[in-house]
Amino acid sequence: MLSDPSASQPGAGRPRQRSNVRLGQFLGSPKAMLGLTVVILFISSAVFAPVLAPYDPNALDIPSRLSGPTWAHWAGTDQLGRDTFSRLLFGGRVALKIAVIGVSVALSTGLILGMIAGYGPKWLDNLLLLAFDTVLAFPTIVLALATVALVGPSLELVLIIVIVSTVPGYARMARTATLALKNDEFILAERSLGASTPRILAHHVLPNVVGPLLILAAMDVPVVVTIEAGLSFLGLGVLPPTASWGTILNEGYLVINDAPFMVVAAGIPLVLTTLGFTFLGEALRDIFDPRMGRGRA
Amino acid sequence: MALRNTSRRTFLAGTTAAGALILVPDLIGQARAQTAGLRLRMERDNEILDPGYMVGGSEVSAQKQCLPFLAEYDMKDGEVSWRPTYYVTRLEHTDPTHIAFELAEGLVWSKGYGPVTAADVKFSYERMKGTDWSGYFDALDHVEVTGDRTGTIVLNTPFAPFILVTLCHGTGAVLCEKAVTEAGGKFTTDFPATCGPYLYEAVPGQRANFVPNPDWAGPKPAAESVVVQIVGEEKAANLAFEAGELDCTDIGADTLARYRTSPPEGSEITIAGELRYMWMGMNTEHPKLQDLKVRQAIQHAVDVDSIIAGAYSNTTSKSFGIICPGLLGKRDATKSYSYDPEKARALLAEAGVSGLELTLKTLNAQDRLLTAQIIQANLAAVGITVTVLPVDDGTFWEMGMEESGDGWKDLEMWIMQFYTTPDPYEATQWFVSDQVGVWNWERWKNEEFDKLYADGIAEQDLAKREAIYLRMQDIMEETGAYVWINHEPTAYVHRKGVTISTAPSGELDYRRFEIA
Repeated sequence: MLSDPSASQPGAGRPRQRSNVRLGQFLGSPKAMLGLTVVILFISSAVFAPVLAPYDPNALDIPSRLSGPTWAHWAGTDQLGRDTFSRLLFGGRVALKIAVIGVSVALSTGLILGMIAGYGPKWLDNLLLLAFDTVLAFPTIVLALATVALVGPSLELVLIIVIVSTVPGYARMARTATLALKNDEFILAERSLGASTPRILAHHVLPNVVGPLLILAAMDVPVVVTIEAGLSFLGLGVLPPTASWGTILNEGYLVINDAPFMVVAAGIPLVLTTLGFTFLGEALRDIFDPRMGRGRA
Repeated sequence: MALRNTSRRTFLAGTTAAGALILVPDLIGQARAQTAGLRLRMERDNEILDPGYMVGGSEVSAQKQCLPFLAEYDMKDGEVSWRPTYYVTRLEHTDPTHIAFELAEGLVWSKGYGPVTAADVKFSYERMKGTDWSGYFDALDHVEVTGDRTGTIVLNTPFAPFILVTLCHGTGAVLCEKAVTEAGGKFTTDFPATCGPYLYEAVPGQRANFVPNPDWAGPKPAAESVVVQIVGEEKAANLAFEAGELDCTDIGADTLARYRTSPPEGSEITIAGELRYMWMGMNTEHPKLQDLKVRQAIQHAVDVDSIIAGAYSNTTSKSFGIICPGLLGKRDATKSYSYDPEKARALLAEAGVSGLELTLKTLNAQDRLLTAQIIQANLAAVGITVTVLPVDDGTFWEMGMEESGDGWKDLEMWIMQFYTTPDPYEATQWFVSDQVGVWNWERWKNEEFDKLYADGIAEQDLAKREAIYLRMQDIMEETGAYVWINHEPTAYVHRKGVTISTAPSGELDYRRFEIA
């Protein structure tokens, strides 16, 4: 059985050799290393926030409100005297949670739906395509506003909005890849040997379509993080007093004349995370799909 | 022949020039409308200019420019009183239930509707009893017309503040009976007929223009015209003022604090008044809050001083009730509670309550969210877990309304702010028994309170009246359903040389601005 059609192509080499080449390419890419470093920093700071944070992120200290950066408070304090650095670290946990859960669920759902659309009958493909396009046509913020008006803001709601708005992207890509594979010889061979559709999808289609989706997922992480920050900035995200980069940014914006450091402090992790995941995703894409990289260049 | 010689370039140049010639007058007109005279700000479009159905705020300001009023606010040294307007030659109480008036000569409605008459006054005030703002006219019995320009406002009970509360506010606007009747009995975004120094033009979503009324024979306002731009975000309006794009705008608590220490160059701050009262309310019928001891524990647990410092930058005065500073019946202290976390814990223990979880709903505005988070931290310190739930305008204002469904049954705690007029009766009207499920979301009833409300309207003796309103606030506080928070000032920043005129509740009156 051939689960990897590229293995039969001339010059493709053996899988272990190719993996080593790709690892070498990855380690040799400054963009990849920079991205990876930032991503590791982001993940570790979020995971170890309770250890790293010098203060309780929700502890009020009103007499010290809006103090600038000091040795005691590296990123200053907010309007309620809370330590901004501690809140940023805990805000990273919210971002990471949304990114990991949101992207994982969206990726899995999109992958399954996309494979069903690509491999299933034409009417089902059309129906699912219509659903994907309908969701894609709906602006994320409008979707968020409407949903929040109905059920009220919460972290869970942000997750749902993130998943609903990103699933169609994965599904469309999985569908296209499945369509391309659907009539390949190794799939036809499996079918003629009596393999069931779920088996073909799970054992032969899935391994061949998941690679590009993982790259897309890496590049979607900053998108998801900014969606969460944007919704929280608008007051549609996490509930107070939970720290989120978006809420810190919003609070900073409202006191930008008195305490400009808050906006800067909240903006830095957002920018760095976005850059880090984008660099990492681009480097992975360049290595695993060099044609796409050249095309963009 | 000429066409044959016209090149494509010449044709394009010619049509561009012709197009420009057509557009230039309009562009000049727009530029003039946007820059001439005063440049002010409002938050939203004026939706209903009809005084009977208005939302309030900038709509009252528009009414003041275009419609006759019998009385206007007179504010001196923090004291609020009233005085007759240009439109009347006489306005006085002839006895506690009769107010005689005489309209000035020569007042004429626009659009050819003829002179302003006493019959218009009768029509305007008597129709208000059947409108959304009927509460302001509870004391009105009828208006007697005694001549073309003379009449008497007859009250059904002695009510001294009628002129100050009802006639000086937007509700006191006089309408043209014929024009309003022809318009179907009510109107929305345009006045059927006007009689004032300005004519009103609105560009929805952009601005309202007040241009000179050529038929106006009365005193000319200082500003030839006024452009009121719609700037939804208060912070954006503040930046527009700092950039010189506005001559005056309202400012919030944190901006007020900043401007007090470093005002924008060439600017001044005017405080219109403190006729706002904010509190945290509790639903006394909710199973978690039915026990008076639990509510009293919450009263004792909230540190209001921290709220005023943290959420309002110490720019607001601490509240001890619903009667605002400067008004009869203003309390100087709470009677039944003060910030005391130990007492709060003891009351919870007495009530046998532990692990209490509550939801606090608030408007999604920065100051309210900060207030809510301080309350959340205060209550956490005594063992009550609070979820702060920000909600948008539309949802918020229906939360306790029975006519909006059963949502009130789930309502536990909320942060509320009301505006009022310069008389204590207005603030108390929302808490009588009839208001349970309307605006009395705390849902308590008290016969003594209801009786005192009626007594307060009729009482002429100031000392007795003050005692009535003080007692009414005691009753409210004793329900345990209120944590008084603050009285937020309505503040404006404006250019030096521009003296603004505002109602105590903050509505601007452009015609009374002075410009040096």
